[in-house]
Amino acid sequence: MTSETRRRLLAACRDIVGADGVVSAPDELRVYECDALTTDHRAAPDLVVLPTSTDQVAAVVRLCATAGVPIVPRGAGTGLSGGAIATRGGVLVVLTRMNRVLDIDLANRTATVEAGCVNLAISRAVAPHGFFFAPDPASQQASTIGGNVAENAGGPHCLKYGATKNHVLGATIVLPSGEITHFGGRLADQPGYDLLGVFVGSEGTLGICTEVIVRLLPVPQAVKTLLAVFRSIEEASNAVSAIIARGIIPVALEMIDQETTQAVEAYAHAGYPLDAGAVLLIELEGLSAEIATEAVEVEQACRAHGCLDAKVARSDEERTLLWKGRKSAAGAFGRMTRNYYHQDAVVPRTKLAAVLREIAAIGVQHGVRVPNVFHAGDGNIHPLLCYDDRVPGQFERAMAAGDEIMRCCIRAGGTVSGEHGIGVEKREYLRLMYSDDDLAAMQRVQQVFDPAGRCNPGKIFPDQRHEERAP
Amino acid sequence: MTDAALMPQLLPALRECVGPGGLREAPTIAAYALDGVEPWAALVPRDEDEVSRALGLASEHGLAVVPWGGGAHQSVGHLPARYDLALDLRRMNQIRAYEPADMTVTVHAGVTVTDLQRVLAEAGQFLPLDPPLPDRATIGGVVTANLNGPLRCRYGTVRDLVLGVRVAHADGTITKAGARVVKNATAYDVTKLHVGAHGTLGVVLEATLRVQPRPALERGWWLVGASVEEFQTLATRLLGSHLAPNRLEVVVGDGRAICGSPEPGPALMISFAGVKDAVEDQAATLDVLARAAGFRVVPIDDGPAVWRMVQDFPWESAVHGRAFRIEWRASVLPSDCAKTMQALAVAVPAPGMTMAATVAHGVLRGEISAASSDDLAARLREAREAVSGVGGFLVVTAAPAPIRAAIDMWGPTPGDAALMRQLKAAFDPGGVLNPGRFIEGL
Repeated sequence: MTSETRRRLLAACRDIVGADGVVSAPDELRVYECDALTTDHRAAPDLVVLPTSTDQVAAVVRLCATAGVPIVPRGAGTGLSGGAIATRGGVLVVLTRMNRVLDIDLANRTATVEAGCVNLAISRAVAPHGFFFAPDPASQQASTIGGNVAENAGGPHCLKYGATKNHVLGATIVLPSGEITHFGGRLADQPGYDLLGVFVGSEGTLGICTEVIVRLLPVPQAVKTLLAVFRSIEEASNAVSAIIARGIIPVALEMIDQETTQAVEAYAHAGYPLDAGAVLLIELEGLSAEIATEAVEVEQACRAHGCLDAKVARSDEERTLLWKGRKSAAGAFGRMTRNYYHQDAVVPRTKLAAVLREIAAIGVQHGVRVPNVFHAGDGNIHPLLCYDDRVPGQFERAMAAGDEIMRCCIRAGGTVSGEHGIGVEKREYLRLMYSDDDLAAMQRVQQVFDPAGRCNPGKIFPDQRHEERAP
Repeated sequence: MTDAALMPQLLPALRECVGPGGLREAPTIAAYALDGVEPWAALVPRDEDEVSRALGLASEHGLAVVPWGGGAHQSVGHLPARYDLALDLRRMNQIRAYEPADMTVTVHAGVTVTDLQRVLAEAGQFLPLDPPLPDRATIGGVVTANLNGPLRCRYGTVRDLVLGVRVAHADGTITKAGARVVKNATAYDVTKLHVGAHGTLGVVLEATLRVQPRPALERGWWLVGASVEEFQTLATRLLGSHLAPNRLEVVVGDGRAICGSPEPGPALMISFAGVKDAVEDQAATLDVLARAAGFRVVPIDDGPAVWRMVQDFPWESAVHGRAFRIEWRASVLPSDCAKTMQALAVAVPAPGMTMAATVAHGVLRGEISAASSDDLAARLREAREAVSGVGGFLVVTAAPAPIRAAIDMWGPTPGDAALMRQLKAAFDPGGVLNPGRFIEGL
């Protein structure tokens, strides 16, 4: 961007959102040069704008359209694939000041919130009425619903409830042209193409979502949480398959390996055994009569697959403590390694044991530690590639191991992302999953929404294709 | 535009695409007629290569292609603006991959819902979709027409259950979208665009679906002896509680004919499914609530047969004998179902209207009958106004040919029509796929 363009944009943005809603000092812009992707992708935007209404977002986007500069939407910046990095500069539109809950309609079990509303704030707003919002990404205390929509965020409980896509009914969108439009809505089965369906998970490349209508669920009657201890990851994986094969769908089914268990235990004191090869955190939720029956079956399935011990949380405090261990995993990573690269992939549940064995072998072969704590119930693994950036060659080895892990998951019939998205991180891996024709069909959609290629450019699609279609 | 003289010349080439057994022409194509309009030929391919070649040829020569499954729901939408070829996918009827422990199944578009359910049942599982006419409805049709039934109350809709598709584009290119795993965040979810698109963006050839364990037990009840508003109040309360109804329908009109209800007048039908203790617990709670409100609770003894009637309504209801009949669906806010049904009952006085509502989603469906074509058209106008007065919309799903030709079957497009038109232009620039069938004449 030329300094003249930047000067003009800065003045115009200040007119739209007020001086306190624009960040332009170089040292302050540096705060926005990356999100929660921990590898070395960084790029500072030319300007950061923090609007407070849909109209302001639209005005800023129109301004950028006229000036021909990129726009990049951002929520809390907790994304793990680099989706909120302004890789080609331009204006970063940060939605965190738009954080109101606009409407709660209990009779129809919906809430309407602004895009910058924090995920957990929705559940907090409706909890007194006996409802909750189901998607629960690990970042839910910080991440915004707009970001959840962009990434189709998941979380441990989406095993039973589904991801963000299954809980969003409608959205107000500012298209890359600056036009305000609405996708979906509170009425079901609207005739026409499911624009909302393709927008959710489009990682900010099809427009900026400013308001979201979400589905609320009634708080279940009962919840039961078990911790099952295994000698090995392999046995724990087989137990996962056995539970599902019995026709039981827990609300969450999480696996934590030994290395993570030890690191977590050191400061969360969740009561995880230190000598176990792996533990499964299993949660059942629903009618009390139903989960009583299911808990017995789950324990049987675990015992039939070498479970050494299974303990059931007997109180809310115990349950919270068991979850504290799982939720502390991300915080424990810092104790386990100086640097890490947190991967995300999905494999069919029945391939878990085989894939995890292969991942362990890949780690050994490259001399990279690969602890793993993940959503086993839906086959969504999160290998943590550990390295020390002070030691030459370690980063490269970690990346090489990561590459092989992705290929291994695809060979098993899986995908290269279950909930983190593609962003800047995994663009090249898309080719492992999709043919040029498959990608061309997706990009046809992109061209309809964003013919100029200015909305979050440089994301999702592999480089070469992007350059072919860039103006 | 299609040149009438062109077809006889193209037939040999088309036959080459699909093999001698895969091409049907007059006089054996009456089954593919839409309101009396027959295509030149029907293609019945065996695999996706044949589909690809046939569409490539159709595209090259500007032919209009109408995809077919069981034909059970071809009354939906407008007549195609042009109709050269029927593309019947029923020979593509294989289960492509099924691993019960993964709880996903990948099937060809031409497999009927009933046939798929039979295979899944052997492993103690089922596809939690209950579209009308499942013996004829194919998976391709269910996905592209977004056909759901009362089970959506608990399990959601096609959109929640389809994990991926393989699609033939207008020019014959085959692409895949989505994956065979239950969780996926890899680039655009193009799968969603094909759900409910009525084959206007591509022909769905294969779908991967999420399946569920079969519940050990399902038990249902009719609640009778109350007004529609009273049923609405109870339904809203149940849906906001910890109970998990498997199905919850409110029926108005000739309930006996629609669902075998024990008495005339409105009825609420509900079922719970799962392990025995949980079903009994919920039944006891329901009983207390219903009796406190003064409703009579009558057990449904023959659940499968009764729910099948509700599932098929109004597609094959017992209310026949009137020549002038329209079938419709409508959407309103879930809490407005009763209000809408009352407005409809006023707009179209008995015995002209019967209807059912899946309250959880605010989705209604029903039929309107009349003594003449003019009368029917007038009643439809009244019905549409009644629904839009409550803030909803009404889509006509079947109508006699003259009415179908004269009205907008879809009604005003509630979403961003401009973007939808651009998507159609991007995916099917030549108007090969089901032209004119969908909203906005797409």
